[in-house]
Amino acid sequence: MAYIPDYEGKNLTCMVLRIERSSIHDGEGFRTVVFLKGCPLRCQWCSTPESQSPQIEAAQTGDTTYGVSMTVEQILKEVRKDIPFYFHSGGGMTLSGGEIFSQPEAAKALLREARAEGIRTAIETSFFTTAHAVERVLPYVETAFVDLKLFDAERHKAYCGVDNGTILYNLLYTNQMDWNGRLIVRTPLIPGINDMPEELEAIGRFCAQLKKLQYVQLLPYHRLGTETYRKLGRTYQLPEVPTPSAEHMEKCRAIVRKWVADVR
Amino acid sequence: MAKAYLDRIEALRQQYLATRVDMDVYNAKYVTEGFKDTEGQPWIIQKATGYKYECERKQIYIQDHELLVGGVGFKPRCGILNPDSASGVIEKEVDTISTRPFDPFYLSEEGKKVYLEDVKDYWKNKCVLDRWNLMLPEDVKKLRANGAIFIDRKAVRGYGETTVDWRLLLAKGIGGIKAEAEEALAKLDDAVPGDLEKSFFYRSEIMVADAIIHLSHRHADLAEKMAGECKDEKRRAELLKIAEVCRWVPEHPARNFYEACQSILSYEYACYMEQNASSYNLGRLDQYLYPFYKADKEAGILTDDDAQELLDCLWIKIAEMSLFQDEVTAQYAAGYCITVQTSCGGIDQYGNDATNELSYMMIQATMDVKFKEPNLSVTYSIAKNPDSLLHKAVEAIGMGLTMPAIYANDVGIRMMLNKGVPLSEAWDWNPCGCVETNLSGRLKEYTDIADINMGAMVELALNDGKSRITGEQVSVHTGDPRNFKTFEEFFNAVKTHINYVVDAITSGDQLLDYLSMNYRPVPALSLGFPHCMEVGKDYSQPGAAKYTVGGGVITVGQADIVNSIAAVKYLVYDEKKLTMDRLIKALDANFEGYEDVQAMCLAAPKYGNDDERADFCVGEIFTHVVDQFETYDTKFGKMTCGMLPVSGNTPIGQWVGALPSGRNAGTPLTDGIGATGGTDVNGPTALLKSVSCIPHARYTQGTQLNMKFEPEMLKGEDGIAHAMNLIKTMSTLDVYHAQVNCVDRNTLLDAQAHPDKHRDLLIRVAGYTAFFVELGKETQDEIIGRTEINAWVGGCCGR
Repeated sequence: MAYIPDYEGKNLTCMVLRIERSSIHDGEGFRTVVFLKGCPLRCQWCSTPESQSPQIEAAQTGDTTYGVSMTVEQILKEVRKDIPFYFHSGGGMTLSGGEIFSQPEAAKALLREARAEGIRTAIETSFFTTAHAVERVLPYVETAFVDLKLFDAERHKAYCGVDNGTILYNLLYTNQMDWNGRLIVRTPLIPGINDMPEELEAIGRFCAQLKKLQYVQLLPYHRLGTETYRKLGRTYQLPEVPTPSAEHMEKCRAIVRKWVADVR
Repeated sequence: MAKAYLDRIEALRQQYLATRVDMDVYNAKYVTEGFKDTEGQPWIIQKATGYKYECERKQIYIQDHELLVGGVGFKPRCGILNPDSASGVIEKEVDTISTRPFDPFYLSEEGKKVYLEDVKDYWKNKCVLDRWNLMLPEDVKKLRANGAIFIDRKAVRGYGETTVDWRLLLAKGIGGIKAEAEEALAKLDDAVPGDLEKSFFYRSEIMVADAIIHLSHRHADLAEKMAGECKDEKRRAELLKIAEVCRWVPEHPARNFYEACQSILSYEYACYMEQNASSYNLGRLDQYLYPFYKADKEAGILTDDDAQELLDCLWIKIAEMSLFQDEVTAQYAAGYCITVQTSCGGIDQYGNDATNELSYMMIQATMDVKFKEPNLSVTYSIAKNPDSLLHKAVEAIGMGLTMPAIYANDVGIRMMLNKGVPLSEAWDWNPCGCVETNLSGRLKEYTDIADINMGAMVELALNDGKSRITGEQVSVHTGDPRNFKTFEEFFNAVKTHINYVVDAITSGDQLLDYLSMNYRPVPALSLGFPHCMEVGKDYSQPGAAKYTVGGGVITVGQADIVNSIAAVKYLVYDEKKLTMDRLIKALDANFEGYEDVQAMCLAAPKYGNDDERADFCVGEIFTHVVDQFETYDTKFGKMTCGMLPVSGNTPIGQWVGALPSGRNAGTPLTDGIGATGGTDVNGPTALLKSVSCIPHARYTQGTQLNMKFEPEMLKGEDGIAHAMNLIKTMSTLDVYHAQVNCVDRNTLLDAQAHPDKHRDLLIRVAGYTAFFVELGKETQDEIIGRTEINAWVGGCCGR
């Protein structure tokens, strides 16, 4: 058995939705993605509604429970299992959610120890948190995928349940931070909600100010997770919205590209 | 645009696919005539005479479009019978062999008559198989009769699993090797003890060398005759070229790439004609052929397309060989698999990257021909081989060709070291057959003399040494399992049965060695082993090949024993969810009426998920097996082990009752070293981590991992990159070998329903590839049941 010396935060407990291995969509190479539970946002298109509550939840169907309490060390024990795969693929650990900043201390402990053990790190976050929290966690993050769902404040509040002022502030705040990581802004493209030229222009214009930005990524909306909504006894609020076509995606990217060179 | 040479290849492909697989009994007839004409003489002289008759009398052919020629049987795609090995094996099958479910061979009425009148009686109680059955010890027979072991394979068919010295053949020619035999013979003195036996050997070497050369000249004559009758100008020129090539090689050193290819093919067939056996490997063709390719290119007499065309032709001619096995043996390795393996990549004698143009062209040949043979692989040196070679390999895999298989070159080298080959030669190792390890022209071994049913080892421990299927006491008493107070007591009982079986198998191996040394000389094969020539001994004798090892024994049902041991520990001893009594009752009832117990068993930790609650015992069990075997010596060295169950996991499963893993009685055991189908749910990285718990390098006959990927996963540059990363990691994890079926389930189901639409659908069975529609239904079903990894991502907890 491998022996790992003690470290700070080892025994902090954490509410985990699930851990996925060999994921290829959440950063470079093969990733082990740790989904933390609990999210302050309520995006109407959320594909993982079971990640929103910070508590363990049981499906109404009675056959599934969402969430498991684990210590930081228990999580890292799973993460370490794929270390040989990270080496060749450039992969590592990705903290995702839910919203990782809903459990900032555990997130920080996980990321700090991962880096100390040579495991590369990424986070997927909405940045809906305090600048102080961002400042404490980001030094241990190599790649930050930050979701910017809507630039328009009112519509953001309407569709995601919270104001986006904090999010925009934190994104700009990275400019001042002594941080060498990569920043990637992700926008899920939802037809009729944020694919209008003025909205995309605004996102592009804003992102152009971000000094650490590597690229902006537009992701096509998919109507996923409807089964989970049913199991949780909740209704999927977004009316029927089609998945944007490849051509439409390209058109939208072209708009953002006016402001940001690298749009994917 | 498709290249011009592909027209010929496509024509040859279609010709091949339209050819029925036949049984050739004529070779057997000529061999029998040879033995009869030399009655009373040394066995090796009798064998050489029979071989000479084969080469003189057999029907030969040259097919349309062929550039490389020759044949093992009287027509393309023939199985051949070796009467001296196993004449009787076909006797009870003469009326059914044409239609049997596994690997049918068409036997004509005339063929039947030839066998019954000219072959059968002479070999009664004389062939190796008959002697084997007469002499096999009772304890071995009992284990065999109860399916705890399968041990007849090498009594039925001869050596194989070997690689001749191809460099020597190309450099000296059969004529040059023969000259050495003549020289050695001239130096012998009948008055010196031992020289008489040596003279038998050298005389037989000369006879078979002449016979091989004669057969090649017969092909030259035929080509000339056909050229004379040929109206087509282009084809006439080709036939005349064939005649010129066959007139020169394999007798003389090859002078160019074309001759080198034909020389290799001629000697390959020559070895196979002598002994129906699997895996006369082509070895590292990119290394042996490169000097010819390079010289021809520089001289301007060969283009890359010319070279590719010849390689493609060689590939098709290799696929023409069809292994004859009796009905039972065929179940264990279905698909007419001849498993002639050839590999590219690896390193050279200086430790440098050995990749060259031909390494890529070999993969291209498999892409062009899309046949089940030769069994192509890459000996991947992660430190030295370029990524572009791996890229090309993954492209081929993504096309659904099932090949090349990928070997971690460093693990292969360590296996050779374990076989007693020094590092100064081990770098030159080549994969053999399914996944075994060979050393061209230097190593003699039987890589798979027997299979151990690992599922049965658990069953015996939980049933006081009795088979749950037959109720017979087949092993020692280890007591009522209800009295095992600790997990260790149970685990020890498993080990006790392993020890008993290891002892029995080794006594079978000693008998096989005795029979082989006396009744299985192989003078034609010995031509390709220079040390045989040096010491004046046939390949079948101790000390003849430069290196020899004891018989290889195959463990079958890796995941079954691991999952069963893990379930007993977890359910009975750790979590105490079950009493041993209730578990035993459930197993006795094949879980009928104990559905709750089966559900618990199925939910217990499983191998293949990187879960230490299952994987904890992997290293210990398999180290125990190999430790135990290595305590036994044979005339050829210590016994060896491998994990290459071929398709034997399906028939062997019929002999195992319900297991604590949750598996029902009589169902197949798990293939290779992978997880039981459907139980590995954490994705490919977790699977490889579990697999890395096996002490691979100690299983010197190789360990074989089958993976089944959804074709979508290897699409595009991203998909290829992910697969390359997976393979590289596999290499650093010390996992020896992996092969990938990249085909979706629906295609397989459709092929079962409409075989005519899928005649060339390839599938990786075990360490070899077969045409899916040529497999028996049971094997097809087992393959369909294996876990298909349909996405890269896998979970590990909280799901």
